[in-house]
Amino acid sequence: MFTPGSKYFVGLTGLSLVAAILYAFLVNPNDLGSIALLGVAVAAGLIAGFAFLTRDGDTESATESVAANAEVPTPSFWPIVFALGAALTLLGLATNAIVFVVGLGVLVGGGLEWTIQNWADRASADGRYNSEVRARAIGALDYPGLAAVALGVIAYLFSRIMLTASKSGAAVIFIVVAAAVLVVGVLISTKPAFRGRASLLVTTFAAVLLAGAGIASAINGERSELAVVAEEKPYSASHRECGEEASDHYDKHAGNRVSSRSAVIATVIVEDGKLYAQMIGLKDKLNTVSVPRSNVTNILFRNLDKEEYRLVANLGTRTVAGTDVVEKIGTCTQLAGENQEQLLTINIPKSSSAENKYSFEVPGIEGKIEVVVP
Amino acid sequence: MESRNVKSSRRRLVASVSAIAAAVVLAGCAKNAPQDTFQPKGANAQMIQDLQVIVFPIAGVVGVIVLALAGYIFYRFRDRGQAIPVQSHGKPVVEITLTIIPALILSVVGVFTFRTIFDLAETKDTEMIINVTGQQWWWEYDYPTQEGISQPIITSGQLVIPVGTKVLLRETSRDVIHSYWIPALNGKKDAVPGRIHLLRLEADKPGIYAGQCTEFCGLSHANMRMETVALSKADFAKWVANQQKAYVSPAEGTKAKEGEAVFLNQCSRCHQVNGIKDANGKAVISAPDENVYSGAAPNLSHLMSRNTFAGAMFDLVIDKCRDDVWNASSEEFGAKYLAGVSSDCLNQKDLRAWLRNAPGMKPMYADPAKLEKSNGLYRGMPNLGLTEDDIDKLVAYLITLK
Ligand code: HEC
Ligand SMILES: [Cu+2]
Repeated sequence: MFTPGSKYFVGLTGLSLVAAILYAFLVNPNDLGSIALLGVAVAAGLIAGFAFLTRDGDTESATESVAANAEVPTPSFWPIVFALGAALTLLGLATNAIVFVVGLGVLVGGGLEWTIQNWADRASADGRYNSEVRARAIGALDYPGLAAVALGVIAYLFSRIMLTASKSGAAVIFIVVAAAVLVVGVLISTKPAFRGRASLLVTTFAAVLLAGAGIASAINGERSELAVVAEEKPYSASHRECGEEASDHYDKHAGNRVSSRSAVIATVIVEDGKLYAQMIGLKDKLNTVSVPRSNVTNILFRNLDKEEYRLVANLGTRTVAGTDVVEKIGTCTQLAGENQEQLLTINIPKSSSAENKYSFEVPGIEGKIEVVVP
Repeated sequence: MESRNVKSSRRRLVASVSAIAAAVVLAGCAKNAPQDTFQPKGANAQMIQDLQVIVFPIAGVVGVIVLALAGYIFYRFRDRGQAIPVQSHGKPVVEITLTIIPALILSVVGVFTFRTIFDLAETKDTEMIINVTGQQWWWEYDYPTQEGISQPIITSGQLVIPVGTKVLLRETSRDVIHSYWIPALNGKKDAVPGRIHLLRLEADKPGIYAGQCTEFCGLSHANMRMETVALSKADFAKWVANQQKAYVSPAEGTKAKEGEAVFLNQCSRCHQVNGIKDANGKAVISAPDENVYSGAAPNLSHLMSRNTFAGAMFDLVIDKCRDDVWNASSEEFGAKYLAGVSSDCLNQKDLRAWLRNAPGMKPMYADPAKLEKSNGLYRGMPNLGLTEDDIDKLVAYLITLK
């Protein structure tokens, strides 16, 4: 059993280990501090080990415990899990952060189980009693832990299937699977006959089906629309489709009311086929607005007409680095339907001048609004 | 003997406490206190004044009563070893009265406070708008085109408004939160990045009204000042016309012309002078966004039309000329202010010191050794290592920027 001395040092080891990890994450992983804390953990761990093995140097209790040691330990697969964890952790360091994290999880889980089991094996000479001790110490964690892993695997595999299937197919699969789960659940709970071999059979069948379909789906990849979207950069960077057309890539259910109406420098409005701007404090319908230079600024676009329109900001031109190619700088909102609003956020770093003019336009509507950047 | 000692030390305590109290009270009577909150000089500040002349005394009286009662009770019932009195659950009459009276006072105060707040937030009757942008540690003002302003105007440090006009400031910030406060004209309003907050100003009489950033914004927060200059409507029109005046390059062969060359070399990357052209005759657009952390530096096109610089921290005119403008009567003020900075009045000492080593004059983190934190961008104006000769030329040039 743990002795007072070993308890103290086990606690110290744990504490300094946690401190080292927190320090590394929160302060600086390359700092001497985390190494020092790790050093404390190793040293305390060593002492804890000695104290544990020598039962605090109490020879009398050591002789008592001979009997406990005499028992052959229960065969255990935890050392293997622990070794697997170590291997994965190392592999992860060289390859991929996810592998590292999984490895770390396996390492800690395996180590914990192994330690507890080892400790339980020495609790007494009675194997039954020992396994009871073990169960008391950690049994409460086994099932939830396993269940969490199993659920994770199921969710992952199922999500692969859903990403491959077409949109309507996915809906059908979802309904069928949910119905099947419900039916089987009802059967298990109401028909005792179903509980034994039959339910095992069904579960195994479902597991194999899920694994097979999941792996096949993962290999097949995501359905084409999703694959396209995944490759795209955020919308404003890659979609300069600022014309009249409705693009595939726009959010078709965009909010049509904007919450930050009070924090806009100007509102651009389409009304009866005409374009004008308003600025808080000025009553006039404007065709020129002032936008402060080099600051993130919001413009509200409001469409009062039947047709869908979008606001386009023409923010000058630039020469593509290392070439003579001159490209337009600009951005735009999504299409806004009748009585809908869109917010356009811009940042114009250079003042406007006779040579360098900026404007707002709405494709399909005549005229433009001059943007002055003082 | 002993009792006399006790008495005299008690007397000394009373004397020093009352001396401190008197000093505190007298400090409230400072003569030259341009940021006094009890001296409204405009309609909005007056609304606040009307509210606070009622609420302050009420709050003061209540405060004094509560303190005096508490003091009396502490003294009267102090522990002298007497028995603990009988404990009872209080008196409903007293409790209800003491709840209702404050509630009544508060609801009366509340009604008037809310009315004032809503009156101050009114924007429908606006007669002029100005965009106000704060950054560490100075204010930029730009006037969009509107009635009376045919071309946009940009300036900094000193906000110029016409008297008797309801001006709406549209405040925002380029870096951290600042707060615009001209106590004589209105309360304060935060300037928050990404938002636009509205603050009304209206001055009754021509004059200069001082203020200060009132939201802690970093190292030089205390040096982030501002002034609002109110001009009669006719004078304001003259000011607008002057701000829109086209750029005139100094005559060939003058020192100012040499100064323009130095300016193009050293200063144009941050400071815009509208209309300035480089040696090839090409218009120069500054790029403060590539050089300064906040992305902006003051526009110097009409530097000498204002009489402070660097966030209104330094005077651009010597003390004599400053007093002349500040103390001018309402009738004379406009003409004096519009005269701008003459070469006799120019505060050469501070301006030269600024050009020699700006960060030495105003703590700004403009130290190149610390630039990595801001991605190589200066915060504020750096020390450009100019020679005295360059500074001579620059001063000769800057004085032409009226
Ligand atoms: C790296 C950018 C940068 C350069 C280069 C630069 N400045 Fe500045 N300058 C600033 C910034 C930023 C301020 C505002 C500092 C403040 O008030 O806190 C400023 C303020 C000033 C002011 C005060 C303006 C006002 O209205 O408050 C003057 C005058 C000035 N600079 C002159 C010059 C001159 C002349 C040069 C060239 C020798 C120069 N500056 C070069 C960034 C720069
Ligand atoms: Cu500030």
